[in-house]
Amino acid sequence: MLLEVRDLHVEFRTRDGVARAVNGVNYGVDEGQTLAVLGESGSGKSVTAQAIMGILDMPPGRITGGEILFKGQDLLKLKGEERRKIRGAGMAMIFQDALSSLNPVLSVGDQLGEMFVVHRGLSKKDARARAVELMDRVRIPAAKERVRDYPHQFSGGMRQRIMIAMALALEPSLIIADEPTTALDVTVQAQVMDLLAELRRELDMGLILITHDLGVVADVADRIAVMYAGRIVESAPVHDIYKAPAHPYTRGLLDSIPRLDQKGQELYAIKGLPPNLMNIPPGCAFNPRCPMARDVCRTDVPPLYDVEPSDGIRMSACHFWRECLDDRVNS
Amino acid sequence: MTESTVEAVGSRVEPILEVSGLVKHFPLTQGVLFKKQVGAVKAVDGVDFTLNKGETLGIVGESGCGKSTVAKMLVNLERPTAGSIKYKGEDITKLSGRALKSVRRNIQMVFQDPYTSLNPRMTVGDIIGEPYDIHPEVAPKGDRRRRVQELLDVVGLNPEYINRYPHQFSGGQRQRIGIARGLALRPEIIVADEPVSALDVSVQAQVINLLDRLQGEFALSYVFIAHDLSIVRHISDRVGVMYLGRIVEIGRDAEIYDHPTHPYTQALLSAVPVPDPEAREHRERIILFGDVPSPTNIPSGCRFRTRCWKAQERCALEVPLLAVPAEFRLTTGPAAHDSACHFAEEKQVVPPEEPSEEPPGNPPHGPADDHVNDAE
Repeated sequence: MLLEVRDLHVEFRTRDGVARAVNGVNYGVDEGQTLAVLGESGSGKSVTAQAIMGILDMPPGRITGGEILFKGQDLLKLKGEERRKIRGAGMAMIFQDALSSLNPVLSVGDQLGEMFVVHRGLSKKDARARAVELMDRVRIPAAKERVRDYPHQFSGGMRQRIMIAMALALEPSLIIADEPTTALDVTVQAQVMDLLAELRRELDMGLILITHDLGVVADVADRIAVMYAGRIVESAPVHDIYKAPAHPYTRGLLDSIPRLDQKGQELYAIKGLPPNLMNIPPGCAFNPRCPMARDVCRTDVPPLYDVEPSDGIRMSACHFWRECLDDRVNS
Repeated sequence: MTESTVEAVGSRVEPILEVSGLVKHFPLTQGVLFKKQVGAVKAVDGVDFTLNKGETLGIVGESGCGKSTVAKMLVNLERPTAGSIKYKGEDITKLSGRALKSVRRNIQMVFQDPYTSLNPRMTVGDIIGEPYDIHPEVAPKGDRRRRVQELLDVVGLNPEYINRYPHQFSGGQRQRIGIARGLALRPEIIVADEPVSALDVSVQAQVINLLDRLQGEFALSYVFIAHDLSIVRHISDRVGVMYLGRIVEIGRDAEIYDHPTHPYTQALLSAVPVPDPEAREHRERIILFGDVPSPTNIPSGCRFRTRCWKAQERCALEVPLLAVPAEFRLTTGPAAHDSACHFAEEKQVVPPEEPSEEPPGNPPHGPADDHVNDAE
């Protein structure tokens, strides 16, 4: 496995108390595979990604347990300098908001070239040539002329392409894309997702796609991991989840998307609000919002159960996953 | 609803809002002392539509298409450069003073971002009650607190929260506060500009259901502006698609979604990710190249032609009118709706409604699918 996260715990110490953002996350991704991490704001999906990349703000953040194995090596045991060598060359990240992730006072050519100067020791001139190549690769028209332009001179879609180019620069084996298209319009989103999928295939990279959009996930993912209150509540091959979710939270998310054949009817809405991370409910964190919750859900934290049947490895953190699955099959 | 009932209702009901030839140009100036106009951002450049009583009109489009500027003009936060907005037959762009104030009471707005559209220093009670300061005839002073509490109850918030501040609420709850404020004056029309885009998926559905319920309860007409096409379809009776300051296609929701005839609508619909992994094998996606042109420099003729795969010489010379295209004029089918394209033709880009369990010709997926991704 290219990357494996095992029982990761992250918390944030704040003045008001300890926020438990990640509470035992397990997931993995292979070369050439796309894993979608699905969750709402506060589910811990971005914090997990930051911990993998080693860009978590510490303090207030603290990794309190777990392992992050990248090509078999535990990243959490590495020293700062060793970790830096992996960042960029081994794994790279694409952020949501390209405008605020790019430096406004440096030309995009300088920012792209910096990767080669720092990691590969190229001269400025050679680095610039590589920057043009990269911009061509992500299909920015007239790359040679535009390499001297500044981020604000590009449109949103083009800026996101530059972010992708930057992530690809050193040909890493893993890309983490945190909501890469959320800030973009639909038609541009389609362009960018297409480009990302194509490059991933070309370079046989592993991709972790962090998103809240169930549509985007269905389009590109091989596997899905659904997060809620800092835990994986369901993980499965993509076809399984959409056919029959094995966790009531996943089911609620799928049911709350407006569908063509339900027009005019009331939308299914998950009642209540996501939990406060400083005060996660005992037992299953989803129990106060769950239509299936029973006494055991309020006391016992559900482990990740193996779900059968499945095309691959499938897990659900619901005591009553079998019922959840049957509900969907019968309805 | 069948087509005939819509027709019957449509002919009987007076439109509550009639927008025609609406234009908003923001001047671009040069120089400090002697400001010289050097151009204009043509944010809205000739928009026509009507809104019937009790109806929801959805307006979709990408950022920069002018949909929010239209919203602002409807509630009189921007003065149009040209054109008219008729509320019950009266042109509100010409009104001022007391007459304008009374019209404004009837057209209210719900804003996109519940984090910035509520004053952090005011309590919820003051925020929702503020419209009564401007229109004291609606609620006498002694009655306001009770009214505000009623409104909180209506939008599904605890009336005891009246003295809390916005930061004590979550995003979805704040949006409910925004909606309560919009309802305070008992308006007839609510203009909602991206009311759920800032919310989490599970909370979006709650707010959509609330808007749906309030429409029935208070006999509201909605102008619902959004970029999320599936949400717009869910809530709208009719849908208008905007591109670069103009409506390019407008019709009943099924006409637009199932029988789009304008290439931009087709591209937009085909680009929407469908939450169904089975669909990715047999879906045709139209990927547009390039970006939306700048609204300061709009292409001649059809404004979509620079990105259109059908564009011909005629498109650069002749502005296509928003009308039923000639090829469908004699038909009565769902393709016969207004579409501003010289080469309009029907194309189904969204899977048909209520698809069968196993789409024909789609082989069942074997276990190998997990590793070999032949879809991409």
